[in-house]
Amino acid sequence: MSLLQAHLRLDQGGFVLDAAFTAPAGITALFGPSGAGKSTLLSALAGLKRNAGSVMLNGRDVGRLPAHQRGFGMVFQEARLFPHLTAGQNLAYAHRRAPGSKLAPADVASFFDISGLLHRPVGNLSGGEKSRVALARALVSAPDFLLLDEPFAALDGPRRRAFIEVLLAAHRQFRIPMLVVSHSIDDAAALASHLVALKAGRVVAQGAFAATALTPEFQALLDPRDIGTALAPRLLQGARQNEAQKEPQGLWLRADQVLLATQPPQYLSARNIIEGQIEALSEEVDGSVLVRLATEATPLLARLTPDAVRELQLGQRKTAWAVIKAHAV
Amino acid sequence: MSPAEIEILSTSFAVAWRALVFSLPFAIAIAFFLSRPSTPGRLILDGITHLPLILPPVLVGFLLLMMFGRRGPVGALLEQWFGVHLAFTTAGAALATAVMSFPLLVRSIRLAFEATDLRLFEAAAVLRAGPWDRFVSIALPLAGPGIVAGAVTAFAASMGEFGAVITFAANIPGQTQTLPLAIYTVLQQPGGEAEATRLAVMSFVVAMLGLVAAEFLQRRARKRLLG
Repeated sequence: MSLLQAHLRLDQGGFVLDAAFTAPAGITALFGPSGAGKSTLLSALAGLKRNAGSVMLNGRDVGRLPAHQRGFGMVFQEARLFPHLTAGQNLAYAHRRAPGSKLAPADVASFFDISGLLHRPVGNLSGGEKSRVALARALVSAPDFLLLDEPFAALDGPRRRAFIEVLLAAHRQFRIPMLVVSHSIDDAAALASHLVALKAGRVVAQGAFAATALTPEFQALLDPRDIGTALAPRLLQGARQNEAQKEPQGLWLRADQVLLATQPPQYLSARNIIEGQIEALSEEVDGSVLVRLATEATPLLARLTPDAVRELQLGQRKTAWAVIKAHAV
Repeated sequence: MSPAEIEILSTSFAVAWRALVFSLPFAIAIAFFLSRPSTPGRLILDGITHLPLILPPVLVGFLLLMMFGRRGPVGALLEQWFGVHLAFTTAGAALATAVMSFPLLVRSIRLAFEATDLRLFEAAAVLRAGPWDRFVSIALPLAGPGIVAGAVTAFAASMGEFGAVITFAANIPGQTQTLPLAIYTVLQQPGGEAEATRLAVMSFVVAMLGLVAAEFLQRRARKRLLG
C-alpha cells in the first residue's frame, strides 16, 4: 500500500501544477527539469502553498490541515537554520515540538557526526555542516514523511557524495520515508527505489525506479548525454559497494558508457561483461544509434555510431556482450 | 538641577515610560501584521497607524478629549466601570504621548520584522510550530534588536511631545508638565529665556542619550542574537 497519495492542483501566476502520484515507504525521487514545478509540488505537499486537491498520508487526509499539523518534515535547498540559535538549540527546537519523538537530539547528532558543532552559532558552520544539521533537525522532529528539496544542491562533488551516503544511512537507521527532489539523474539513482517524473507541472511517469527510468516518457526528460539505465550496484564488480551502509540504491549507467561486442570479449581490463540479446535499435536526433540490450538482470542501453552498427551487423534478437568500465559509474 | 527641574524631568520620564509600556505590545502586534503581505486591509491599517504623524498634534489632543474626556464615549465608560479619569492626569499625558509616538514605534519594529527571512517561518512550520509559536520563537527574537532600538527612540521622542499633551492633559506641574511644556511655560514669563535654555539643554541631552542608547542596544542585541 502506498504511504503517500497526493493529487495537488494549483495555479501560480500562469504556472499550473496538476500532479497526482503515490510514494511508498522507501525513498522516492521526484525528478524533472528546471521549471517542472518540483519545489512547488513539495511546498504544496507540506502545506506551505495553498492548493486544491488531496493529500493522504498513512491513510489520513491531511490536505486541508495547516503545515504544522500535516506530519511532513522538510529539508530545504538552503539549510534554513534559525540564526539566533546554536546548532544544538536548532535540534532542541525540533525535539520540543515533537513530544512523541524517540529520536534524542544527542543520538541523532552523534549519528551525523555533528556532536562537536552543537554549541556553535549556525552562522559559523560550513555549507556541508549546515546541511547535516538541517537534516538532523528534520529527523529529530520525527516526521511521518520527510521531504527534501535538493538538499545537496549547494554542495560540491565529494561533499555531495558524502551527503548522499549520510542520507541513505539515515534512511536505513531511522526508517523515515523520504521524497527527494533532484534534477541530477545520478543523485536520483543513488538514492531512490521509486521514481516520480514531473514535466511542466504534470506527472509523466512513476513507479519502481529502474522500470520507470526505462519508459520513453522519462527518457524524454533527460539530457541526451544522460540517457541510460539504472542498475543495482551488486551487478557491477568494483563499483562503489565496499561498505553495506554506504552502498547506493542504484547506479546510473549512461548509454555512452557501454561498449558492445558481438563475440565474448577477451583480454580486456574491464571487469564487467554482460551477455544479452538486442531488443531494439533506434536512431537518435544526433545520428547515433541507441541499442537496447535485454540481459538476465536488467535492460541496458548502448550508444553506437551508425558505422559501428553496420560493421557489427547488429540487429534485433542478436546476441551481444555489453562491456562496462566500473569506474565510469 | 533645581527641585523644580528634577520634578519636570521625572514627570517627563514617568509620562514617556508609561506611554512606552502602554503602546509597545500594540505596536509589536500591528507592526507584525503590517509586515505580512497577506494581512487583509493592510493599507487601511497602515493609514490609521500613521494618522498621528500627519494630523496636527493639537487635533489629536482634541480628538482624545472628545473620546476619553469625562463626557466622551470611552471616557464615560472608563469612569463608570473603573473610576478612571484620563483627561488632565499623568496617565492622560501618557496616553496622548503614546498615540503621538505610536507611528514612530510601529515603523521601527515593522522594519525589523520585514528584515526577517520569511523562509524561516516555513522551516518552523514544518517543525510543527503553529502560528503563535512561530511568532514567539522566531519573529520576536529575530526582530528583537529592532524592537529595542524602536522602543528607545520612541521613548526619547516621547519626552518631547507637546501639542497633544497640552490639549488633552493640560500643563499641570508635577502631573502633566513635561520638558517641552515647561519650556513653553517659562517662555511665557518675562526673563524666562535663561531657564528655557537650561531646560532645552536637558531636552537635548536626553534626546541624544536616547539615540545613542538605541544604536548601542541594537548593535549589542544583534551581536548576541546572530553572533
